[in-house]
Amino acid sequence: MGEKEVLQGLKDMMKAVEADEAAFQNLALQLFQYQYRHNPPYRRFCQSRGRTPRIVKDWWEIPAVPMRAFKEATLSCNDPAEAEAVFMTSGTTRPGKRGKHVHPTLDIYNRSMLRNFRQRFMGARDVLSMGILFPRPETLPHSSLAHYLSLAVREFGGEHSSYLVDGEEVHFSRLLHFLREAERSGEPCALLGASFHFVHVMDFLEQEGLSFRLPEGSRILDTGGLKGQSRHVDPDVFYAGLAARFGVPRHRCINMYGLTELSTQFYDDGNETVPSKKSGPYWIRTRVIDPVSGEDVPYGETGVLVHYDLANVHSVLAVMTEDWGKAVEGGFILMGRAEGAEARGCSLAAEEFLRSSKG
Amino acid sequence: MEMWETAGYHPGLGETEVQWREQTFEQGGERRRVRVPVPDEKGLQRLVEVVRKNRQTDLASLSVSEVVHRIDQTVERLLDRNHPLRRRMEDWLPVVTGLAPDVIRTGLTASMKTFRKPQLLRWLAEDFGNPAMLDSFQPRVNGGFTRAISPHLLVHIWSGNVPGIPLWSLVSGLLVRSAQIGKVASAEPLMAGWFAQALEEVDPKLARCLAVVGWQGGDESRERLLFQEAEVVSAYGSNETLEAIQSRIPVTTRFLPHGHRFGLALVGKEALNPARVADVLRKAARDVAIYDQQGCYSPHCFYVEKGGVLSPRQFARMLAHELDIMQIRYPRRTLSPREIGEWNRWNQQAEWRALEGEEAEWIGGDGRFWSVAYEETGDASLLPTCLNRAVLVSAVNDLEEVAGRIAPFRAYLQTAGIAASSRRMFQLADRLAETGITRICALGHMTVPSSGWHHDGRPVLKDLVRLVDVEPSAEVAAEPHNPYSE
Amino acid sequence: MDLKSQRVLVTGGSRGIGAAIARAFARQGAAVAVNYRENREAAEATVRSCRQFGGDALPVQADVTDEQEVRRMSEHIFAEWGALDVVINNAFRPYPFDPEGRKPFSRLEWKDYRDQLEGVLTGVYHVTQSVLPQMQAKKSGSIVNIVTDLIARPTVPYHEYTTAKSAVVGFTRNLAAEMGAYGIRINCVAPGLVYPTDSSRHTKESIREAIADQTPLRRIATPEDVTGPVLFLASDYSRFMTGQILYVDGGLVMS
Repeated sequence: MGEKEVLQGLKDMMKAVEADEAAFQNLALQLFQYQYRHNPPYRRFCQSRGRTPRIVKDWWEIPAVPMRAFKEATLSCNDPAEAEAVFMTSGTTRPGKRGKHVHPTLDIYNRSMLRNFRQRFMGARDVLSMGILFPRPETLPHSSLAHYLSLAVREFGGEHSSYLVDGEEVHFSRLLHFLREAERSGEPCALLGASFHFVHVMDFLEQEGLSFRLPEGSRILDTGGLKGQSRHVDPDVFYAGLAARFGVPRHRCINMYGLTELSTQFYDDGNETVPSKKSGPYWIRTRVIDPVSGEDVPYGETGVLVHYDLANVHSVLAVMTEDWGKAVEGGFILMGRAEGAEARGCSLAAEEFLRSSKG
Repeated sequence: MEMWETAGYHPGLGETEVQWREQTFEQGGERRRVRVPVPDEKGLQRLVEVVRKNRQTDLASLSVSEVVHRIDQTVERLLDRNHPLRRRMEDWLPVVTGLAPDVIRTGLTASMKTFRKPQLLRWLAEDFGNPAMLDSFQPRVNGGFTRAISPHLLVHIWSGNVPGIPLWSLVSGLLVRSAQIGKVASAEPLMAGWFAQALEEVDPKLARCLAVVGWQGGDESRERLLFQEAEVVSAYGSNETLEAIQSRIPVTTRFLPHGHRFGLALVGKEALNPARVADVLRKAARDVAIYDQQGCYSPHCFYVEKGGVLSPRQFARMLAHELDIMQIRYPRRTLSPREIGEWNRWNQQAEWRALEGEEAEWIGGDGRFWSVAYEETGDASLLPTCLNRAVLVSAVNDLEEVAGRIAPFRAYLQTAGIAASSRRMFQLADRLAETGITRICALGHMTVPSSGWHHDGRPVLKDLVRLVDVEPSAEVAAEPHNPYSE
Repeated sequence: MDLKSQRVLVTGGSRGIGAAIARAFARQGAAVAVNYRENREAAEATVRSCRQFGGDALPVQADVTDEQEVRRMSEHIFAEWGALDVVINNAFRPYPFDPEGRKPFSRLEWKDYRDQLEGVLTGVYHVTQSVLPQMQAKKSGSIVNIVTDLIARPTVPYHEYTTAKSAVVGFTRNLAAEMGAYGIRINCVAPGLVYPTDSSRHTKESIREAIADQTPLRRIATPEDVTGPVLFLASDYSRFMTGQILYVDGGLVMS
């Protein structure tokens, strides 16, 4: 099975309305075989784990690569020098090394993003004026989020769409202009961007004593954590704030959960209540595992999320995250990362050493 | 039914005069609750006055040998496995700390043994030469006299779950006859209070010179108040925690910070033959497994010399098996999600490094409660490890290279365990002493410091006191004023 | 432990006891490499019957007495599966078990002994050498060497054959003593007369009945009888056993 056949299978699958279990299983195993053959570090990993294509019989047995590995190795089936894009993680946990996700072509990534975005964010609309609270891809060429947002604007953005961030700072006068124009036009619009920028914007609006009532049908999409980028805000307070400042009801405030290491995103259906349920399209599946034993936790119990993303054609389809969560009907609840282990004794641990030698 | 235990010891402050903070501990399906006394600022002030006054009336007048005798009687009780307090320790500490019952039992006995009379006397002699210096001015060899004056109030901030730490602190404070107030660690809030209770059985007056309480770590107003009153503050914790504490301590108060550190071990090629290696491995694995590497003396890395009958790589593989065996007798603590996160990140790094080539290896994986990384290129990026029984085995051509390898960790080094011939052991000791290592011991002893050790390179008791000199000139100058002077 | 996804090599796995062992592992969900020397068709038949159980099986050719061939075989298996968890040393040089036609000691030459030692011990040695490093690197592995109950009770003194098998027992125990430190276990299974196999074809009905008469369980072994103890020694159920011999002969030998 070569790259072409796998790609075709995947494109066919993405065209389908719903894919059945067997289609996912078949394609996952084919893709695994392809990645095993063309991705040497991954092959060594599978061999050392004793999970090679000859041994693996079901998609959930495909060895999942930890996010850490994207920092240690180049996980690509193709020559990274000829890649269309290399997305990198921001590297907040460990200084120095950033995880790399090599995309020889963005064809599949874009298809996956667009189809999913239309369905989960656009509602019934084809076009919305978009205010983007994140830098352009030219500013951040290795940011998957910058690419994601530019794709959204390019495919679905109305003529008044605008980037509201200059360099890495919010351009407040342009923001106010966008919001006022939207209010005046009466046409629904969308604000999309990094969660921490929304915090900065809300702080600014509060300071200025401003709030808006964006036209009926307007939506907000926020993504990414706040860690290290803004003050901590409780999610409930955050969405209440969005609703109050922009007049967008919480059920139209969508949170997107994406990882640089994946090619498919998860969305919730609004944040009327938090935490919200996240789910993805049928070409991505998620297992919740016990990180000590590596086995599935009993349904509904807390564990670490492992994603099997068929759109990750050129890297590795199975990725073990550092995010905790639990399965619920039709999706999962994301509980976030467990970082900064508290010292139990008087011994120095790896991450404390890194923190202290950094600061 | 859920079991309750009350932590702390607060003479002069009634049950209702403190608030109680509840803590729940769970281990192996068992759930226990501890309540910790939390005095408010007024209460804390009262405690300061009470222990200080009690010290003045009941402790300051005791001779050092009388104090030694009472500590000896106290630990004698705690060494008795049938004593109710000892039974409570063996019953509660495994659940509270998560450490295996065998680790707790042997660890308690080992640390109590270091507080028996002969050991205490040796410790005093170690630090003071002539311990009578604590009672009165003692003549100096070069003329004049010196006396050691105890701090009127010694404050301890404990952290972590290694049960021996509060004992060390309290015994040191007693030996120098100081009033003491200790803040318990949330990871192990019980041991200090139990020790005070045992002391009370021996001598209630002496016990009432101690107070053991708790509060939310970093509580600025309580800590400022207490540090203002203290003469010496001794604290355990990460450098971040210690810096925060330091910022609240008046410059006139002596601060003794005990930061997080780690240990390592050196194995010479002479120990790497099939006949000797079994013993070395057993002891190495014990040093790792006891306290799950949570002690500042616990080894993170084994530097293993090439050129023996067995290779460093074989040593790594055999160490893996010894660690596996330890799981049966000394099962590892259940890790918190955060610890699992750190464990996984370190192991993933080690695993992916090993996949890169032949110079590295990693033995670990799902369902294993230990992991061994091996490398032979001198790469130290896996140090320190993520704790909880993760070790790096690093191959060296000559153990002499180790000093250079550990230089980047200078400020964080503590104990080095050595398995090598006598001559080389002393040679290595010289080299290691230059690097920041402050304790050299045999493998198998890394987690059991001998009594009177120079913790982090300091004379523990001497650091607590103030030395007062009577210079020869004073003696000479006094002479003419004597009535019998001619 | 369940044997699911365990990677197993059975030497001499195409026929007889070896094939029965291969199938038994496959039934438990293990991946089985079926080693053969010449009879490719038999090996492929065994592989096919193994795959019916859903797991992987591969035929792997090698004369186990040839170091080069063994190394090539191991590398092939490692490339496909990453490593081996279990090795069953079952291959042996063909030997006619004919109580009436056997050579008495007076007619045996040293070459007869040497042939058997070469055929049995050399194979065990090469295979073990080629798989041990990767077992050590993952700190786990189980090796089971198939010997014979004749080592304890030479009902018929097949001198050279039984002496060679006894050497395998010595080999096993020494290796077990050393490999315990790496968490690797090595044991033996010692079947009595097994029928039907190619080797026991020559054994007359009357002899088989005579042996059955002396056997507490009143019959001789089938190839399938041997598989249980082999699976047991390969699995975690025997995790604290090494250097042992399990006799599978209906109680003929009691030790």
